[in-house]
Amino acid sequence: MTLLRQYLRAILSARKLLITTFLLCFGLMIYLPFLMIAFRSVGKGWFGRLWLPPELTLEWYRWAIEVTNIVDITKNTLIIAVLAVTMATLVGIPSGWAFGRRKIPGKELLMSMILLPRMIPPIAYALGVAQVFYRLHLINTHFGVALAHVAVCAPYAILVLSATFEGLDERVLEAASVCGANPVRTFFHVILPLILPGILSSMIFTFTTSYNEFTLTLMTYGKDTTTLPVRTYLAIGEGYWEVTSAMSIILVIPSIIVLFMIQRQVAPEKLVGGFKGV
Amino acid sequence: MSEQMIELRNVTKRYGDLLANDNITLRIRRGELMTLLGPSGCGKTTALRCITGHNIPDEGEVWIDGQNVTEVPTHRRELGMVFQNFALFPHMTVFDNVGFPLMIRREDKAKRQERVMEALRMIRMEKYASHYPRQLSGGQQQRVGLARALVYQPKVLLLDEPLSNLDAKLREEMRFEIRDLIDRLGITAVYVTHDQAEALALSDRVAVMNAGRLEQLGTPDEIYDYPRSRFVADFIGLSDFIVGTISAVHAEKKTAVITANGLDISVPATPEMSPGREALLFIRPNNVDLLPASHAGGTNVFPGVVDKTTYLGDRNDYRIAVGKDLELRVQTDGKVRFKVGDNVQVHLPLPLCRVILE
Repeated sequence: MTLLRQYLRAILSARKLLITTFLLCFGLMIYLPFLMIAFRSVGKGWFGRLWLPPELTLEWYRWAIEVTNIVDITKNTLIIAVLAVTMATLVGIPSGWAFGRRKIPGKELLMSMILLPRMIPPIAYALGVAQVFYRLHLINTHFGVALAHVAVCAPYAILVLSATFEGLDERVLEAASVCGANPVRTFFHVILPLILPGILSSMIFTFTTSYNEFTLTLMTYGKDTTTLPVRTYLAIGEGYWEVTSAMSIILVIPSIIVLFMIQRQVAPEKLVGGFKGV
Repeated sequence: MSEQMIELRNVTKRYGDLLANDNITLRIRRGELMTLLGPSGCGKTTALRCITGHNIPDEGEVWIDGQNVTEVPTHRRELGMVFQNFALFPHMTVFDNVGFPLMIRREDKAKRQERVMEALRMIRMEKYASHYPRQLSGGQQQRVGLARALVYQPKVLLLDEPLSNLDAKLREEMRFEIRDLIDRLGITAVYVTHDQAEALALSDRVAVMNAGRLEQLGTPDEIYDYPRSRFVADFIGLSDFIVGTISAVHAEKKTAVITANGLDISVPATPEMSPGREALLFIRPNNVDLLPASHAGGTNVFPGVVDKTTYLGDRNDYRIAVGKDLELRVQTDGKVRFKVGDNVQVHLPLPLCRVILE
């Protein structure tokens, strides 16, 4: 009996060890490259052979800012992202409303078609986008690059917003009208507070999508509309590993801020509201 | 001040080909609790939505408190409503939910505070003022819904299956709580339900609906004891139906005889009865007496054999084979017991036999 128990315990602890090891490896796989870049961006004379860089410096960041004109590039990136978010939201609200609240024949097929740009590799149609944009003189304009981004941003917006609007309970709106609220006051006191978290999370998702977008930008950018991901890529080609690392870190910071915003501000349960027994 | 609080005048509402309300005329008196009862799809919710203004009737008029409100939008009808799924505002606290109608009416803050707390005391929820709906149980949410509907003293309280989403025990408790609240406030109320027990227990009057039409309107005991159609008799309570032909009418004794399944059953006579006419006799299973075979016969006493028994705790439920191919359902209290195969006598008390002529 005791032997069996010991045996079982051994298996159990072995399992625990296995899980811990697996999680550790998984964590390393994800974060090690990131750590390498972080070290390289602040290290001098570090070639990855030592545990830590022998000398710490912020010089590479200074280089990154001065040599690559990172302020203008960040400005470009943000202008394009804001334009893309605005357009995607303007497209997403009415389409999301229709998808979420109306009966549309062939809804599934339509939704798949809208999601298609997210499913096929951007490079496959980026070429087509570039050709059309050259004719329309949209290459190297903020609007043009943003418009290309909308192709991948809008599906997100429509998906998130249609789920938000679908969760908006018709009975709750009827309750507001019975309580004496006219359509305008129902909108401001009931509809807007209920859909705002959804709109915000859609905007955050589309923002990060546009901010991180590389392939479509590469095919539509010009010297006045270089974005951070593209500039970082170009820096790799220029061969300054340390400066490129510093740029990568700069590139990552806004994404991390957004991640915290999502965690703090947009609690998922606020999206759907708390109904019981429905 | 008219005596009628709500009137539906010849209201017809279609959804495409479906006739949801077929020429409904209904008058609801001031201070009365009227139940719209019927199976799902009978049009009771459609009728309610015509009262709230969420539906505009295709034909006919809706009057509330002496005014034709057929075209008046919902938010100007001064109603209170309780919903099946509670329909509380999920982003507002209990206090703000209950205070919403007052906020919309631009009541000042102090007065609003006072009336909301008063309403919350009424439903014993004052401790939960700062909770959100998702933190409350179903029963608590529905009480908040009730407080929100009543806080600004509306002309009419509408309840759309308010207890359907609650468990059986709570449903019964809330039933009394709602009735009690409505009595105290003396408000006119329209209650929509498919639960006949709820309708009988709560209502001053019941309107039974079927397939878009008003089947019968009456007090709960009228509806239960004197249903005017097979549908009403079948829908409300249990019934034994016997289809037969009137074979004789004894005007002097005020009785008639219906022959069915080889039995001659005496029933109370009505002026419309004439020999040869088809008639539907029905009786409630708990009104049928079950006697031992040794018992002396009499009017409406027929021999039978116990076919099936079911023990229901406070009652016994029997299926008795009587006459030619007739099976009667009989419910008795638990005192006398019969076994399957026992020979018994079935007594259908003459005054409790009801006849529907169709």
